[in-house]
Amino acid sequence: MEQSLRETIHENPKKILGVNSQDAKVSLSYLTVAFVSLLIGGILGLVQGLERAGLIQLPSWLNYYQVLTAHGLLLLVVFTATFSIGYLYANLSHALGGLLPKVRKLAWTGFVLMIIGVAMVVTMIVLNEASVLYTFYPPLAAHPIFYIGLVFVVLGIWACCFGVFINYRHWRKNHPGEVTPILAFFTMGVFVLWFFASLGVTIEVFTLIPWSMGLVETTNVMVARTLFWWFGHTLVNIWYLVAISAWYVFVPRIIGGRHFSDKLIRLVVILVVILNIPGGFHHQIIDPAISQSIKFLHVFMSLSIAVPSLMTAFAMFVVFERTGRRLGGKGLLGWLKKLPWGDVRFLAPMIAMISFIFGGAGGIVNTSNQLNQVIHNTMWVVGHFHITVGVSVVLTFFGICYWLIPHLSKRKLTPKMNKIGIIQTLIWTVGMIIMSGSMHIVGLLGDPRRTSDTTYGGHEAAASWVPFEMLFAVGATLLLIGVIIQVYAVFNMMFFAPKGNTEYPVAEPEDDETPTPMWTERWGLWIVLLLMVVAMAYVVPIVDMLLNAPPGSPPIRTW
Amino acid sequence: MKLAKYGLVLYIFLALPPVANLLESIMIVHMHMQMPLLVASGFLMAGFFQLKFPNFLEKWNSNGIPGIILFVIIWSYWMLPRAMDEAITLQVVELFKFISLPFLAGVPLRDSWKKLSSIGKDIVYLYFIIMFIVMAWIYIGSESQLCNNYLLVEQKTLGWGSLAIAACMIIYLLQLIFIDQSEFE
Ligand code: HEM
Ligand SMILES: [Cu+2]
Repeated sequence: MEQSLRETIHENPKKILGVNSQDAKVSLSYLTVAFVSLLIGGILGLVQGLERAGLIQLPSWLNYYQVLTAHGLLLLVVFTATFSIGYLYANLSHALGGLLPKVRKLAWTGFVLMIIGVAMVVTMIVLNEASVLYTFYPPLAAHPIFYIGLVFVVLGIWACCFGVFINYRHWRKNHPGEVTPILAFFTMGVFVLWFFASLGVTIEVFTLIPWSMGLVETTNVMVARTLFWWFGHTLVNIWYLVAISAWYVFVPRIIGGRHFSDKLIRLVVILVVILNIPGGFHHQIIDPAISQSIKFLHVFMSLSIAVPSLMTAFAMFVVFERTGRRLGGKGLLGWLKKLPWGDVRFLAPMIAMISFIFGGAGGIVNTSNQLNQVIHNTMWVVGHFHITVGVSVVLTFFGICYWLIPHLSKRKLTPKMNKIGIIQTLIWTVGMIIMSGSMHIVGLLGDPRRTSDTTYGGHEAAASWVPFEMLFAVGATLLLIGVIIQVYAVFNMMFFAPKGNTEYPVAEPEDDETPTPMWTERWGLWIVLLLMVVAMAYVVPIVDMLLNAPPGSPPIRTW
Repeated sequence: MKLAKYGLVLYIFLALPPVANLLESIMIVHMHMQMPLLVASGFLMAGFFQLKFPNFLEKWNSNGIPGIILFVIIWSYWMLPRAMDEAITLQVVELFKFISLPFLAGVPLRDSWKKLSSIGKDIVYLYFIIMFIVMAWIYIGSESQLCNNYLLVEQKTLGWGSLAIAACMIIYLLQLIFIDQSEFE
């Protein structure tokens, strides 16, 4: 299917355009911050694992909760956000034929704002002024600068949101009657969610700033927690959308197939965007002050996300089977063998997808009221999100690196680097199976999360946790090796790999696919529906929390 | 006709005593969920009536205006605190609610909306925005309990809910105005 250059220019100009070099610089900068955060966060993760296992004792100037706060924020917020922005802006540039100059400027503004914000946050954590964990629930109170730093991070994200919206509108105006390229559609979905997700946490932080400064005496803890999870839960689905954008659009191309129905993909994006935010309540199943009936309703709200998830699982397996059979796979499962297992660009996201089955099953446990009573605030939860975000999301991100970074830096993925990638993927998988598996089990035995020392004076129940905690340390060691290899691979591909051209592996639709209807582009309507769903979910509990509020809480510093 | 069947199923479901009790036990759910769902059930069932009584509808509702006025009056009536309160206390009023909302609001809405000119649609739309804002003002602002059956806090919740709906409707309107709708054809 080689085309002459002329034909390509004529029929598919985007293919050669790729990401232009000015846009590539934006993306590479975000990716650099992402992988520096991963390295630091990973080291802190190992420290935690060793401390939990009792193998090391942190010095008096560094406490466990400082480390845990930094680990959570650096990995959960900084790494995922900067990676997603780098990746999505590259997609946008590729799909829309370059960013507008003012959009590029917005992306740089966002970058600077985020760096300032992260610097403020990290400084406060290092100074031991903000050991409030990444959830920063009041009444735990950090230094005001910590919260102000968070505001800067949010402003940075907003700059990136507006950049995407502006570029999208510009393209829409100039392409009447055409649906937006699927990558740009995903990017819109993610940034719309990002914008509305961050509204909740912004309101929260703005109430916490005067409170932590002592200007107001008390704060409403329940409202703060609710607003936090409005954001926190949505963040989870932002990663999920970013990950499935790669599963739907790039993975099929990498295995040499076509992508699944364009219409279905867009429907999944729309559903995730509209239904998402109220899922936040499933993080508050044990919180008092939310009535039983509201919690009951929210089981449905959070399980509704299973619908697009199952659609995704179905679509992906259809693509795999179709492609495998096209390549000559026979019999019931013969097509599985035809998939390119030796290609890290496939292997990493494939393991990510498989792990999502376990992550999803665990998620159903978490969101069920009775089962949540057993696992709430135990290590089970930590095991759960290391499977979901630590494997399903992060391995997808890692897999993306092996074509995105060479493409952006105009270099090549060498077979040797591919092999390193495969080894990295396997180390990561084994490390997470050991660490997350033992966390799941020991959580069921009652081992609490977020606790530096769980010996409880040698009580026999606590003693039964020790072997599992040793396994955390084993897993954590493997994982840090994985992190180091990955960071090495990323910077090698960025600066040292041989020069060359790397394809942007975007899958094409099947030949007989019906065109996607234009109504899918009604973002105005999707946003109104999103707001309606938010109103349905939040008005009753929030008014209740405000009008029937107990006395608020003053700032408390426990460390 | 399939739609009409779904409408009937929805109607019967809403009329089941436990369902009705549950929905009516929370003020905002009573007004902003049960009632719109009743209207929706009528809206879905309307196809049946359009098929059975084409002449009647053609004669009385040829330009859609009588139908939409009926719809507006019926739904506005049910926004009154007194009406909701009585629906819970008096069986007859409850019965009237289950008849009026689907058949005197939902059915005429379906029959009229397409017949209306765009100005007519705008007026109806604006009317509802204003109504929700006024309701928000009354229900949030009132310091006394308006219903025997619902507490003050529920009343305020309802007010905030109405405000949220009005806000959503305004945002919808704004995006209709500022985004060229022909883009989506
Ligand atoms: C080198 C790899 C990693 C190791 C060894 C590691 C290890 C750990 C350990 C031991 C905990 C402590 C649990 C507790 O005491 O409650 C933890 C918590 C956590 N980890 Fe990781 N982790 C790693 C990677 C990641 C990644 C990639 C992410 C997300 C992108 C992540 C997100 C979190 C979060 C959000 C927490 C909870 C913090 C809190 O409870 O405040 N971790 N991790
Ligand atoms: Cu969640």
